[in-house]
Amino acid sequence: MKNFVILAVMIAIAVPAYAAVGKHAELDGVWILLGTNIEKPQLTPEGEKKRAAYDYQKDDPDFQCKPASVTRVMHTPSPPIQVRQHQDYVEVNYEFMDVRRRVPLKKGLAAKDAPYASPRYPHLGKSAAQYDGETLVIETVGQRAGVLDTLGVPGLYQSDQMRTVEKFNPNGDRMQVSVTHYDPVYFIQPFTVTYNYVRLPGGKIEKWDCKPEEATFERFAK
Amino acid sequence: MYRKVAVAAIIAGSLFLSCGMGLAHHSVAANFDGSKAMDVTGKVKAIEIRNPHSQITLEVPNPQGGVKEFYVEWSDKNALLRRSVPVNKIKVGDTVTINVSPSKRLPNLGYFRTATLPDGTILRDCGFAAFREGIVKGKSGCEENAR
Repeated sequence: MKNFVILAVMIAIAVPAYAAVGKHAELDGVWILLGTNIEKPQLTPEGEKKRAAYDYQKDDPDFQCKPASVTRVMHTPSPPIQVRQHQDYVEVNYEFMDVRRRVPLKKGLAAKDAPYASPRYPHLGKSAAQYDGETLVIETVGQRAGVLDTLGVPGLYQSDQMRTVEKFNPNGDRMQVSVTHYDPVYFIQPFTVTYNYVRLPGGKIEKWDCKPEEATFERFAK
Repeated sequence: MYRKVAVAAIIAGSLFLSCGMGLAHHSVAANFDGSKAMDVTGKVKAIEIRNPHSQITLEVPNPQGGVKEFYVEWSDKNALLRRSVPVNKIKVGDTVTINVSPSKRLPNLGYFRTATLPDGTILRDCGFAAFREGIVKGKSGCEENAR
Protein backbone atom coordinates (compact mmCIF):
# COMPACT_ATOMS: atom_id res chain seq x y z
CA MET A 1 0.00 0.00 0.00
CA LYS A 2 2.81 2.35 0.98
CA ASN A 3 4.63 1.65 -2.28
CA PHE A 4 1.46 2.33 -4.22
CA VAL A 5 1.05 5.71 -2.58
CA ILE A 6 4.66 6.64 -3.32
CA LEU A 7 4.23 5.57 -6.94
CA ALA A 8 1.00 7.55 -7.24
CA VAL A 9 2.69 10.66 -5.85
CA MET A 10 5.59 10.27 -8.27
CA ILE A 11 3.24 9.93 -11.22
CA ALA A 12 1.22 12.92 -10.05
CA ILE A 13 4.39 15.03 -10.02
CA ALA A 14 5.93 13.65 -13.20
CA VAL A 15 2.96 13.63 -15.58
CA PRO A 16 2.12 17.36 -15.49
CA ALA A 17 5.81 18.24 -15.81
CA TYR A 18 6.18 15.95 -18.81
CA ALA A 19 3.01 17.32 -20.37
CA ALA A 20 4.22 20.88 -19.93
CA VAL A 21 7.55 20.14 -21.58
CA GLY A 22 5.87 18.24 -24.38
CA LYS A 23 3.52 21.09 -25.14
CA HIS A 24 5.96 23.92 -24.81
CA ALA A 25 9.13 22.60 -26.39
CA GLU A 26 8.80 23.88 -29.95
CA LEU A 27 7.42 27.42 -29.66
CA ASP A 28 9.89 28.98 -27.28
CA GLY A 29 12.52 31.08 -28.97
CA VAL A 30 13.18 34.12 -31.11
CA TRP A 31 11.78 34.12 -34.64
CA ILE A 32 12.21 36.22 -37.75
CA LEU A 33 9.69 36.65 -40.50
CA LEU A 34 10.07 34.68 -43.72
CA GLY A 35 6.96 35.90 -45.46
CA THR A 36 3.24 36.41 -45.16
CA ASN A 37 0.12 35.22 -46.85
CA ILE A 38 -2.62 37.82 -46.80
CA GLU A 39 -6.18 36.98 -47.73
CA LYS A 40 -8.06 39.51 -49.78
CA PRO A 41 -10.16 41.33 -47.20
CA GLN A 42 -13.89 41.40 -47.84
CA LEU A 43 -14.86 44.79 -46.47
CA THR A 44 -18.21 46.25 -45.54
CA PRO A 45 -19.14 49.54 -47.23
CA GLU A 46 -17.91 51.30 -44.10
CA GLY A 47 -14.63 49.42 -44.30
CA GLU A 48 -14.21 50.38 -47.97
CA LYS A 49 -14.97 53.99 -47.13
CA LYS A 50 -12.40 54.10 -44.35
CA ARG A 51 -9.77 52.43 -46.52
CA ALA A 52 -10.35 54.89 -49.36
CA ALA A 53 -9.94 57.82 -46.97
CA TYR A 54 -6.77 56.44 -45.36
CA ASP A 55 -3.79 58.77 -45.80
CA TYR A 56 -0.54 56.96 -45.02
CA GLN A 57 1.26 60.22 -44.46
CA LYS A 58 -1.14 61.32 -41.73
CA ASP A 59 -3.00 58.31 -40.38
CA ASP A 60 -0.20 55.83 -39.73
CA PRO A 61 0.22 55.38 -35.95
CA ASP A 62 3.84 54.39 -36.62
CA PHE A 63 4.65 58.07 -36.84
CA GLN A 64 3.63 58.45 -33.21
CA CYS A 65 5.62 55.31 -32.33
CA LYS A 66 2.35 53.58 -31.54
CA PRO A 67 1.75 49.99 -32.65
CA ALA A 68 -1.52 50.01 -34.57
CA SER A 69 -2.25 46.35 -33.87
CA VAL A 70 -0.51 43.02 -33.35
CA THR A 71 -1.25 42.32 -37.02
CA ARG A 72 0.60 45.47 -38.03
CA VAL A 73 3.49 44.80 -35.66
CA MET A 74 4.02 41.34 -37.14
CA HIS A 75 4.11 42.71 -40.68
CA THR A 76 7.36 44.57 -39.98
CA PRO A 77 9.92 42.27 -41.55
CA SER A 78 13.20 42.73 -39.70
CA PRO A 79 12.42 43.03 -35.98
CA PRO A 80 11.97 39.51 -34.54
CA ILE A 81 9.36 38.19 -32.15
CA GLN A 82 9.86 35.99 -29.13
CA VAL A 83 7.65 33.33 -27.55
CA ARG A 84 8.23 32.28 -23.95
CA GLN A 85 5.86 29.78 -22.43
CA HIS A 86 5.35 29.45 -18.71
CA GLN A 87 3.17 27.19 -16.63
CA ASP A 88 0.24 29.60 -16.41
CA TYR A 89 0.98 32.32 -18.95
CA VAL A 90 2.75 32.90 -22.23
CA GLU A 91 4.84 35.90 -23.20
CA VAL A 92 4.83 37.09 -26.76
CA ASN A 93 7.39 39.83 -27.16
CA TYR A 94 7.86 41.92 -30.28
CA GLU A 95 10.97 43.99 -30.88
CA PHE A 96 9.01 46.44 -33.05
CA MET A 97 7.71 49.27 -30.86
CA ASP A 98 8.75 47.36 -27.74
CA VAL A 99 5.45 45.48 -27.52
CA ARG A 100 5.38 42.99 -24.66
CA ARG A 101 2.34 40.78 -24.18
CA ARG A 102 1.67 38.54 -21.20
CA VAL A 103 -1.28 36.29 -21.88
CA PRO A 104 -2.78 34.05 -19.20
CA LEU A 105 -2.99 30.33 -19.95
CA LYS A 106 -6.10 29.22 -18.18
CA LYS A 107 -8.62 26.80 -19.53
CA GLY A 108 -12.06 28.34 -19.72
CA LEU A 109 -10.87 31.92 -19.22
CA ALA A 110 -12.70 34.24 -21.62
CA ALA A 111 -10.64 36.98 -23.24
CA LYS A 112 -13.09 39.60 -21.99
CA ASP A 113 -12.30 38.56 -18.43
CA ALA A 114 -8.54 38.57 -18.95
CA PRO A 115 -6.30 41.52 -18.12
CA TYR A 116 -4.90 43.79 -20.80
CA ALA A 117 -2.08 41.78 -22.34
CA SER A 118 0.22 44.75 -22.81
CA PRO A 119 -0.05 47.30 -19.99
CA ARG A 120 2.01 49.77 -22.03
CA TYR A 121 -0.38 49.44 -24.98
CA PRO A 122 -3.84 48.66 -23.59
CA HIS A 123 -5.38 49.43 -26.99
CA LEU A 124 -4.07 46.02 -28.09
CA GLY A 125 -6.79 44.45 -25.99
CA LYS A 126 -7.41 41.66 -23.50
CA SER A 127 -6.13 38.22 -24.37
CA ALA A 128 -6.49 34.65 -23.14
CA ALA A 129 -4.52 31.63 -24.33
CA GLN A 130 -4.95 27.89 -24.41
CA TYR A 131 -3.57 24.91 -26.29
CA ASP A 132 -5.32 22.95 -28.98
CA GLY A 133 -2.99 19.99 -29.32
CA GLU A 134 0.37 21.48 -30.29
CA THR A 135 -1.19 24.77 -31.35
CA LEU A 136 -1.14 27.76 -29.04
CA VAL A 137 -4.37 29.71 -29.49
CA ILE A 138 -4.72 33.31 -28.28
CA GLU A 139 -8.08 35.05 -28.39
CA THR A 140 -8.22 38.82 -28.04
CA VAL A 141 -11.07 41.29 -27.55
CA GLY A 142 -11.31 44.85 -26.30
CA GLN A 143 -9.06 46.32 -28.95
CA ARG A 144 -9.53 50.02 -29.45
CA ALA A 145 -11.16 51.23 -32.64
CA GLY A 146 -8.70 52.64 -35.15
CA VAL A 147 -6.19 51.66 -37.78
CA LEU A 148 -5.64 47.91 -38.05
CA ASP A 149 -2.98 47.73 -40.71
CA THR A 150 -0.67 50.15 -42.47
CA LEU A 151 1.74 47.77 -44.11
CA GLY A 152 0.32 44.42 -45.25
CA VAL A 153 -2.94 45.97 -46.42
CA PRO A 154 -2.57 49.69 -45.74
CA GLY A 155 -5.75 51.40 -44.63
CA LEU A 156 -7.58 48.56 -42.94
CA TYR A 157 -9.53 49.69 -39.90
CA GLN A 158 -10.81 47.85 -36.83
CA SER A 159 -13.76 48.56 -34.58
CA ASP A 160 -13.92 48.00 -30.85
CA GLN A 161 -16.09 44.96 -31.62
CA MET A 162 -13.23 43.15 -33.33
CA ARG A 163 -12.18 39.76 -32.01
CA THR A 164 -8.98 38.11 -33.15
CA VAL A 165 -7.80 34.52 -32.91
CA GLU A 166 -4.07 33.88 -33.23
CA LYS A 167 -2.82 30.34 -33.80
CA PHE A 168 0.85 29.53 -33.25
CA ASN A 169 1.86 26.32 -35.01
CA PRO A 170 5.38 25.03 -34.37
CA ASN A 171 7.29 22.87 -36.81
CA GLY A 172 10.87 22.43 -35.65
CA ASP A 173 12.78 25.56 -36.63
CA ARG A 174 9.75 26.97 -38.44
CA MET A 175 6.65 28.49 -36.96
CA GLN A 176 3.44 29.60 -38.58
CA VAL A 177 1.19 32.16 -36.94
CA SER A 178 -2.25 32.87 -38.35
CA VAL A 179 -4.30 35.82 -37.19
CA THR A 180 -8.01 35.77 -38.00
CA HIS A 181 -9.97 38.98 -37.55
CA TYR A 182 -13.71 38.94 -36.86
CA ASP A 183 -15.17 42.41 -37.10
CA PRO A 184 -18.82 42.91 -38.04
CA VAL A 185 -18.30 46.64 -38.59
CA TYR A 186 -15.53 46.48 -41.19
CA PHE A 187 -15.33 42.89 -42.48
CA ILE A 188 -18.05 40.95 -44.27
CA GLN A 189 -16.25 37.71 -43.45
CA PRO A 190 -13.30 36.77 -41.25
CA PHE A 191 -10.00 38.07 -42.56
CA THR A 192 -6.86 35.96 -42.03
CA VAL A 193 -3.19 36.84 -42.31
CA THR A 194 -0.64 34.05 -42.03
CA TYR A 195 2.95 34.73 -41.02
CA ASN A 196 5.78 32.26 -41.53
CA TYR A 197 8.82 32.42 -39.29
CA VAL A 198 12.22 30.80 -38.98
CA ARG A 199 13.98 30.43 -35.67
CA LEU A 200 16.83 32.92 -35.11
CA PRO A 201 19.55 30.95 -33.32
CA GLY A 202 20.96 32.90 -30.40
CA GLY A 203 18.59 35.73 -31.19
CA LYS A 204 17.25 38.14 -28.64
CA ILE A 205 14.76 40.96 -28.53
CA GLU A 206 16.50 44.30 -28.44
CA LYS A 207 15.09 47.59 -27.27
CA TRP A 208 13.32 49.53 -30.04
CA ASP A 209 13.09 52.89 -28.31
CA CYS A 210 11.14 54.69 -31.03
CA LYS A 211 10.93 58.48 -30.83
CA PRO A 212 8.15 60.23 -32.79
CA GLU A 213 10.42 63.03 -33.98
CA GLU A 214 12.67 60.40 -35.56
CA ALA A 215 9.88 58.28 -37.02
CA THR A 216 8.04 60.68 -39.30
CA PHE A 217 9.05 61.42 -42.87
CA GLU A 218 8.21 65.04 -42.18
CA ARG A 219 11.63 65.43 -40.62
CA PHE A 220 13.03 65.56 -44.17
CA ALA A 221 10.84 68.48 -45.22
CA LYS A 222 13.08 71.15 -43.72
CA MET B 1 2.84 12.14 -37.06
CA TYR B 2 0.08 12.90 -39.56
CA ARG B 3 -0.53 16.20 -37.81
CA LYS B 4 3.14 17.22 -38.11
CA VAL B 5 3.26 16.29 -41.78
CA ALA B 6 0.08 18.30 -42.36
CA VAL B 7 1.46 21.36 -40.58
CA ALA B 8 4.70 21.08 -42.57
CA ALA B 9 2.76 20.85 -45.81
CA ILE B 10 0.68 23.90 -44.94
CA ILE B 11 3.78 25.92 -44.07
CA ALA B 12 5.64 24.82 -47.20
CA GLY B 13 2.64 25.56 -49.39
CA SER B 14 2.01 28.97 -47.98
CA LEU B 15 5.71 29.84 -48.27
CA PHE B 16 5.66 28.84 -51.91
CA LEU B 17 2.59 30.92 -52.58
CA SER B 18 3.42 33.94 -50.54
CA CYS B 19 7.16 34.36 -50.27
CA GLY B 20 7.78 38.07 -50.08
CA MET B 21 4.18 39.10 -50.66
CA GLY B 22 3.83 40.84 -47.36
CA LEU B 23 7.37 42.12 -47.40
CA ALA B 24 6.79 43.79 -50.74
CA HIS B 25 4.46 46.19 -48.96
CA HIS B 26 7.14 47.47 -46.62
CA SER B 27 7.02 51.24 -46.28
CA VAL B 28 10.51 51.36 -47.81
CA ALA B 29 9.03 49.99 -51.03
CA ALA B 30 6.17 52.48 -50.79
CA ASN B 31 8.45 55.46 -50.36
CA PHE B 32 11.52 54.64 -52.45
CA ASP B 33 11.98 53.52 -56.05
CA GLY B 34 14.03 50.36 -55.71
CA SER B 35 14.30 50.02 -59.49
CA LYS B 36 16.47 53.15 -59.69
CA ALA B 37 19.86 54.00 -58.30
CA MET B 38 21.79 57.26 -58.10
CA ASP B 39 25.09 58.41 -56.61
CA VAL B 40 25.17 61.26 -54.12
CA THR B 41 28.56 62.63 -53.10
CA GLY B 42 28.91 64.84 -50.09
CA LYS B 43 30.42 65.42 -46.69
CA VAL B 44 28.90 63.43 -43.84
CA LYS B 45 27.25 65.94 -41.54
CA ALA B 46 25.59 63.38 -39.27
CA ILE B 47 25.08 59.64 -39.01
CA GLU B 48 22.28 58.50 -36.76
CA ILE B 49 21.97 54.75 -36.31
CA ARG B 50 18.57 54.36 -34.70
CA ASN B 51 15.08 52.88 -34.87
CA PRO B 52 12.80 52.79 -36.76
CA HIS B 53 15.17 53.96 -39.53
CA SER B 54 18.75 55.12 -39.52
CA GLN B 55 19.73 58.32 -41.26
CA ILE B 56 22.86 59.78 -42.81
CA THR B 57 22.86 63.51 -43.52
CA LEU B 58 25.15 64.60 -46.35
CA GLU B 59 26.12 68.13 -47.29
CA VAL B 60 26.28 68.19 -51.06
CA PRO B 61 27.44 71.11 -53.22
CA ASN B 62 24.59 73.24 -54.46
CA PRO B 63 24.93 74.37 -58.10
CA GLN B 64 23.64 77.78 -57.01
CA GLY B 65 26.36 77.99 -54.41
CA GLY B 66 26.86 76.73 -50.90
CA VAL B 67 25.67 73.30 -49.86
CA LYS B 68 22.33 71.60 -49.42
CA GLU B 69 21.41 68.65 -47.26
CA PHE B 70 20.62 65.23 -48.66
CA TYR B 71 19.17 62.56 -46.38
CA VAL B 72 19.94 58.88 -46.70
CA GLU B 73 17.41 56.59 -45.05
CA TRP B 74 18.65 53.16 -43.92
CA SER B 75 17.56 50.14 -41.96
CA ASP B 76 16.74 50.21 -38.27
CA LYS B 77 19.63 50.11 -35.83
CA ASN B 78 18.83 46.65 -34.52
CA ALA B 79 18.78 45.14 -38.00
CA LEU B 80 22.09 46.77 -38.96
CA LEU B 81 23.72 45.41 -35.82
CA ARG B 82 22.19 41.97 -36.38
CA ARG B 83 23.57 42.00 -39.93
CA SER B 84 27.01 43.07 -38.65
CA VAL B 85 27.11 46.10 -40.94
CA PRO B 86 30.28 48.06 -40.03
CA VAL B 87 28.45 51.37 -39.79
CA ASN B 88 31.28 52.96 -37.81
CA LYS B 89 33.33 53.10 -41.03
CA ILE B 90 31.18 56.04 -42.08
CA LYS B 91 32.52 59.00 -40.16
CA VAL B 92 31.29 62.54 -39.71
CA GLY B 93 33.40 64.91 -41.79
CA ASP B 94 34.38 62.33 -44.41
CA THR B 95 33.44 62.85 -48.04
CA VAL B 96 31.65 59.78 -49.28
CA THR B 97 29.60 58.70 -52.27
CA ILE B 98 26.41 56.94 -51.35
CA ASN B 99 24.43 55.02 -53.92
CA VAL B 100 20.73 55.32 -53.11
CA SER B 101 17.30 54.41 -54.37
CA PRO B 102 15.59 57.78 -54.79
CA SER B 103 12.54 58.80 -52.82
CA LYS B 104 9.24 58.83 -54.68
CA ARG B 105 8.22 62.02 -52.89
CA LEU B 106 11.19 64.11 -51.90
CA PRO B 107 14.15 65.20 -54.07
CA ASN B 108 16.57 65.36 -51.14
CA LEU B 109 16.02 61.80 -49.89
CA GLY B 110 17.17 58.33 -50.88
CA TYR B 111 17.49 54.85 -49.44
CA PHE B 112 20.93 53.36 -48.80
CA ARG B 113 22.38 50.83 -51.24
CA THR B 114 26.17 51.14 -50.90
CA ALA B 115 28.70 53.71 -49.72
CA THR B 116 32.11 54.41 -51.23
CA LEU B 117 34.40 55.52 -48.44
CA PRO B 118 37.34 57.98 -48.71
CA ASP B 119 39.84 55.13 -49.15
CA GLY B 120 37.84 53.73 -52.05
CA THR B 121 36.44 50.73 -50.19
CA ILE B 122 32.78 50.03 -50.67
CA LEU B 123 30.57 49.49 -47.64
CA ARG B 124 27.76 47.13 -48.46
CA ASP B 125 24.71 45.98 -46.61
CA CYS B 126 23.31 42.66 -47.76
CA GLY B 127 19.85 43.70 -46.53
CA PHE B 128 17.17 41.83 -44.63
CA ALA B 129 16.23 39.42 -47.42
CA ALA B 130 19.78 38.08 -47.72
CA PHE B 131 20.11 37.96 -43.95
CA ARG B 132 16.95 35.91 -43.73
CA GLU B 133 18.13 33.57 -46.49
CA GLY B 134 21.37 33.07 -44.59
CA ILE B 135 19.46 32.08 -41.46
CA VAL B 136 17.33 29.63 -43.44
CA LYS B 137 20.52 28.05 -44.80
CA GLY B 138 21.89 27.68 -41.30
CA LYS B 139 24.42 30.51 -41.55
CA SER B 140 24.77 33.41 -39.15
CA GLY B 141 23.16 35.82 -41.60
CA CYS B 142 25.15 38.29 -43.70
CA GLU B 143 28.67 37.03 -43.27
CA GLU B 144 30.00 39.28 -46.04
CA ASN B 145 28.93 42.38 -44.10
CA ALA B 146 31.50 41.72 -41.41
CA ARG B 147 34.44 41.61 -43.82
